[in-house]
Amino acid sequence: MPLIKSTPTPPPSPEPARPPRLDDDAPAARRRAAQALAGQPDAAPALCARLAHETDASVREAILTALVRIGTADAAAGLFPYLASEDAALRNAVIETVQQMPPDTVAPHVEAFLDDPDSDVRIFTVQLAARLAHASRMDWLARAVERDPHVNVCLAALEGLVETGRPDVLPILERLRDRFPDDPVVAFSVDAAHRRFQAGA
Amino acid sequence: MNRSPPDDGDPAPLSPADYERLCDFLRARTGLSFSEGKRYYVERRLTDRMKARGLSSPREYLDLLRFQASGEELQHFVNLLTVNETYFFRERYQLDCLVRSALDEVVRDRPKGERIRIWSAGCSTGEEPYSIAIALLEYWNKADDYEIELHASDIDSRVLARAREGIYEARSLQYLPPALVAKYFTPAGPGRWRIIDDLRASIDFSHVNLVDPDATRAIPLFDVIFCRNLLIYFDDIGRREASAMFYEALVPGGFVFLGHSESMSRMSSLFVPRKFPDAIIYQKPRETGGARP
Repeated sequence: MPLIKSTPTPPPSPEPARPPRLDDDAPAARRRAAQALAGQPDAAPALCARLAHETDASVREAILTALVRIGTADAAAGLFPYLASEDAALRNAVIETVQQMPPDTVAPHVEAFLDDPDSDVRIFTVQLAARLAHASRMDWLARAVERDPHVNVCLAALEGLVETGRPDVLPILERLRDRFPDDPVVAFSVDAAHRRFQAGA
Repeated sequence: MNRSPPDDGDPAPLSPADYERLCDFLRARTGLSFSEGKRYYVERRLTDRMKARGLSSPREYLDLLRFQASGEELQHFVNLLTVNETYFFRERYQLDCLVRSALDEVVRDRPKGERIRIWSAGCSTGEEPYSIAIALLEYWNKADDYEIELHASDIDSRVLARAREGIYEARSLQYLPPALVAKYFTPAGPGRWRIIDDLRASIDFSHVNLVDPDATRAIPLFDVIFCRNLLIYFDDIGRREASAMFYEALVPGGFVFLGHSESMSRMSSLFVPRKFPDAIIYQKPRETGGARP
């Protein structure tokens, strides 16, 4: 039988005398450093700052996971500015990470970034808000649909509202049609939402 | 607009009418049928999902299930409702993928006689690791060319004891061909069968908590990890930490097998989905940012 018992596992190698550092040359050491900081709220600013320079995907993932585990206001505050990053992979990873943090910790930053002067940042904030399990989620999305001057932000919020699966969002969507009466994408999206709810009813 | 009350309390209880409505919906959409006797089972899972979604009433949750375009929440809920006792050769196509595709790639540049390590993480009462062993012995034509270590772990010491014992009811064996039952089992009383000693002795069973870094640091590097229908019990952060641990525990180019309804891309961006003829599995890139020291 080719199946064999393993040879006894050697004891784990002792931890190196020098603790791993977030700026170590070796990605494995940086990864270990991030993992070691996962339970330390004071480390949130350093972890967030390291993201700006970190190029290794596995280290980046370890940093973001550590920040979810920390889950403090500092951790959330340090992540939101990356919504403006040109690095789409980082931006998406940050959105996913923030969505996994305590909603009440994240909420004040959602409020603030819904007013960001950059419409792209507002779109990402809406996408983030749409999947946040927070009591204000519907209000945030409705506010974007009703007030945001940029149609793409409104459409992102529309998508979030439809995804909630609540038929009572339809009047809000109609208001979007009123705001952008000549925009064919808005008309199509609102009609599609109506069809979807009718089909699911 | 009207909005949900804050989600800082427990969700509202499930009324008889809501339970009936939910069951009707599940029956129509999925074929799953739950009687009044299953009410507590369903309600517990419903409450967990309502909390996760920040919803306060069963009615809101049912609306989400009915109207969500992606169907993601329905899938999640169904997964929670359909976790059944496991059995031999469950999700057989994944075992086929292992012996027809994945292992051939693992040994592509590996000389004969070298060691291959496979880990069944969350092995429960042992059906999965024994199924892997039988599939290797019966269907992988290179099995005799390599030394194969098969590790199996679970966080529950009681199920591990049952796995080591290797005694199963006939219904656990229902998808095994009779010839394999005759070859790898011996009768162990009325309607019960026991894995033969050679096979039981060839698997390393151990107690491992997947999200305990100290526990997982001591385990060797693996070529293949099976972790099927386990991570659905984890929350988001637990899934992230578990997938990071798999990354650490795999050799570059190693594979992860998840349950049929699970997707690594929802947990981690570190793995590459690989589509083989029998299944989609997940691979740690061959070029990675440093192996575990």
